[in-house]
Amino acid sequence: MSSKKKVLLKVIILGDSGVGKTSLMNQYVNKKFSASYKATIGADFLTKEVVMDDDRVVTLQLWDTAGQERFQSLGVAFYRGADCCVLVYDVNNSKSFETLESWRDEFLVQASPMDPESFPFVVIGNKVDVEESRRMISSKRAMTFCQSKGGLSYFETSAKEALNVEEAFSAIAKQALAQEEAGDFNSDFPETIPIDLKNDRDGCAC
Amino acid sequence: MTSPTPPHSPPSPTASFYDMSDDEEGEYNTIRHTSSGRGVKLLYTKSKVYVHPTPSAKDNIPGFIALVQQKGPVESNDARPTSSSSARSVHASSLLLAWVPESSLGDSYDTYVKVDLSDSSSPPRQSYLVPPPPTTTTHANSVGTYAFAVPVSEIYSLLVRPPSIGWWFGSLVANTKAGESFPALFFHDSECQSTILQRKKLARESFDPFGDGGGMFWGGDEVLRWLKRYVNVERSGAEPSIYLIDPSEEDKVSFGRKATTSKSPRNSTDGGASSSASPPAAKRDGGMDPITKTLKEAKWNFLEKLSQVTTFTRRTAQAVAENPKVPPQVRRLIQNPEVQVLQEEFDSAKIYLARWAMGIQEQSERERNQRIWTANDVLEMEESSVGEFEILDMEAGKLSMSDLRKPVTLKEWKDFFDAQTGRLQITPDEVKERIFHGGLHPDDGVRKEAWMFLLGVYEWDSSTEERHANMNSRRDEYIRLKGAWWERMIEGHSTAEEEEWWKEQKNRIEKDVHRTDRTIPIFMGEDIPHPDPDSPFADVGTNVHLEQMKDMLLTYNEYNKDLGYVQGMSDLLSPIYAVMQDDAAAFWGFVGFMERMERNFLRDQSGMRKQLLTLDHLVQLMDPKLYLHLQSADSTNFFFFFRMLLVWYKREFEWVDVLRLWEGLWTDYLSSNYHIFIALAILERHRDVIMEHLKHFDEVLKYINELSGTIELQSTLVRAESLYRRFQRTVETIDKKDNFPLPPAAHRRISSTRSASASPPPKTTWAASGAASTSTGTDRGKQRQSVGDVVAKGIGADKEKVISPELRQLLSREVEKVSKAELKEHGGGVGGA
Repeated sequence: MSSKKKVLLKVIILGDSGVGKTSLMNQYVNKKFSASYKATIGADFLTKEVVMDDDRVVTLQLWDTAGQERFQSLGVAFYRGADCCVLVYDVNNSKSFETLESWRDEFLVQASPMDPESFPFVVIGNKVDVEESRRMISSKRAMTFCQSKGGLSYFETSAKEALNVEEAFSAIAKQALAQEEAGDFNSDFPETIPIDLKNDRDGCAC
Repeated sequence: MTSPTPPHSPPSPTASFYDMSDDEEGEYNTIRHTSSGRGVKLLYTKSKVYVHPTPSAKDNIPGFIALVQQKGPVESNDARPTSSSSARSVHASSLLLAWVPESSLGDSYDTYVKVDLSDSSSPPRQSYLVPPPPTTTTHANSVGTYAFAVPVSEIYSLLVRPPSIGWWFGSLVANTKAGESFPALFFHDSECQSTILQRKKLARESFDPFGDGGGMFWGGDEVLRWLKRYVNVERSGAEPSIYLIDPSEEDKVSFGRKATTSKSPRNSTDGGASSSASPPAAKRDGGMDPITKTLKEAKWNFLEKLSQVTTFTRRTAQAVAENPKVPPQVRRLIQNPEVQVLQEEFDSAKIYLARWAMGIQEQSERERNQRIWTANDVLEMEESSVGEFEILDMEAGKLSMSDLRKPVTLKEWKDFFDAQTGRLQITPDEVKERIFHGGLHPDDGVRKEAWMFLLGVYEWDSSTEERHANMNSRRDEYIRLKGAWWERMIEGHSTAEEEEWWKEQKNRIEKDVHRTDRTIPIFMGEDIPHPDPDSPFADVGTNVHLEQMKDMLLTYNEYNKDLGYVQGMSDLLSPIYAVMQDDAAAFWGFVGFMERMERNFLRDQSGMRKQLLTLDHLVQLMDPKLYLHLQSADSTNFFFFFRMLLVWYKREFEWVDVLRLWEGLWTDYLSSNYHIFIALAILERHRDVIMEHLKHFDEVLKYINELSGTIELQSTLVRAESLYRRFQRTVETIDKKDNFPLPPAAHRRISSTRSASASPPPKTTWAASGAASTSTGTDRGKQRQSVGDVVAKGIGADKEKVISPELRQLLSREVEKVSKAELKEHGGGVGGA
């Protein structure tokens, strides 16, 4: 099964506007943080090569999108073929947490993965660097939510202080790779059905 | 139409010239040039034939192309043959094909004009003698001057390119037997009186519906006709634009025999009405059936020629590999071919390389532009910036293009208005044309005033007094609107839903304002404490302009409740505010801007879909090859233009360029959807890289996204205008064709509506045409085709091109606005259901 071909893993990052999707991506890929990333319009992606546990090198393609929900409807083109979806919220903004579920549903509708039940989502609560008094969503509440959705992985990060970002994305890479391989297996299936033109003559009798 | 502007007015033809009978043939007067003892006979000439030494039209040199007879070894006492057989008696070596600039003619100018206008298929009966042009057989020696006269016997071939949509002026290049090429001569037919007259005559003589008054007859036809009287002119079968002069057997073979021997490029020139009976193939060759010709040329083949990118890439690959600044994945790719294979599936290095190759190409183009245009250039860059400038020159009218492109200063602006009443003294269109081409001066404050007109705050026909009154009432209204939400913020909203929406919108605006144009000085500082201690930005501070921005956007949110604030709007407001530095004025300017931009922000994204669809149709029509490529790369959703279309290139250009771009777009001078042509111009600029290197949607998107900050505005504007003109002409051509039904359109098929699926349609779909969209009266439902629908198809005339309603709308200067009802239904604010 393992081809020599380089593996490209496609990851979609979703969440309300201003929760820090662009910042997380840039912290992970470029090790940089800026307080003034412009609001994302349309879509963009960054790529990063990752060495997996078994020394395999994969390429992560991280897709950043606009947070305002009305801009999602045109995004079908890049949802398709995703290997993992990251749902980001701001731990200091309860609204952004409450919308996680609809982001997840929206993704499943648009990407329509083969097996929605097992499709890997990773939840990230960002901006944990902000003073505790402003925090609106507790870790416990977030983890309960993740449990209720079938045991989604959960990370709390600070893109600003590079806290837990590496860990979150290496988990994302792992899950994406697992999904990709499962997908490979599935899509290889039709190829095992022999289509041999020479046999046509024999088969034509029926 | 432009009339010729000769240094002297052409003399009226003498009566004797027309009255002479054949018997008098041998007794014609000899008009000798007075200042020259010896002259050459001017057999034929054509005016307004230009040399284009630089890409800039202002450097074009007008002149005459002429066929002259000098005293040769074989003295012929009649250089005016009446049939081609007797013509052959004139020795080719005694004939010179010449080009002389108008400026060098002096007194003989009148003679040239007279011969040009003689309107006869044979040379004038009177023998017109002019000073002999300097005979040259090589172009290389004549540095600095482009004039030449080459013995026809020395000419090996002529490269003849008729005018077309793509190549505005027909051109002719003489190649000598010694292997030299003279500068390309461009026939400015619309300025040339004799060509205009000949066209009219042709139109009278042969009814040719496609000729449009003989419109497709051009000056180059005439030159070939002259030559054919004296020498054997054979069209190359292999290279139809090459005409061989007295070719040897060997030449004939190597250039392919198929071409019709010594046939006039235009049948009707020879045979008048018989042209309609000639086989279509013959007609298509040189006869330029306008449909065939224009559509053939519209293939943009010149752009294909620019794909030397790969050569550059290869040549400098080594240099890249050694450059420490190059990203490691690129270096690896170059050093290790195996990596290249492994990375085929996706590699960002490829995109990096593509962009970089583009840079080199740009540089080489700049260098190339320094040179004179010769045969090879015409061949290689059949279409180029030269073509663009030429087209623009046509339209410039009174002002020269370089004057037109100077920014409008405050003084010029003030002079547009009556000093007493403050009313505009010229037409709004004249003002718009100036702003469209030149922009407004960036530093003298003219924008503050002019933008109010462009954004519809002031009426074009208002007086100073009326504008004062207008602004005063708008100030009051702004304060009222601002007070309304302010009050509600304190006293609470009527419903919980509204309260929720309000809170959400306020947060959104706050977040976006704090990340909008913070590199622009007025938005930079964080010198005052945040007024709201609960804001997430309470810790970082703010400044007075950021607070004004928030207030204006909240007021807009109040003013247009059906839509409310949507991301991207802060990008649209900030330049207006920065120019006005007055919140009420900026607010109303923004309201004016939003009237045309509203559709982009609807909840159902119908406006954005429509614009992406329009771009899709436009690329299909204007560059089918590129379209096919994008289709194969799953990229015909044109999603990679989303950002550019939503906020009008705000993220792609530098701040100062954005201001210049927007004021041009606001004029609606050519089209209210001119921004679509900016998109096309950007796309075309990068077409070769895209076609050569980008094979997947993600690659295309990344490449286009990363153009941000690298796009040169001025050339983009020029290219966009040229593309607009070309589009306009293509539509005209197709419409004209539709008015003259051709043989049953076997290819006419009704396209089935495809879904928005990104998978490429089968090839047959592409070849079929969207006949359903021919009618402009299709209902709005039908117009809502999904992005990627195929409408205008085909390259050659045998395939059908159809102008979709979306494309037709591009010709309108009327701004499309969203109706109140539509806004209520699709706005996504709280005003609606």
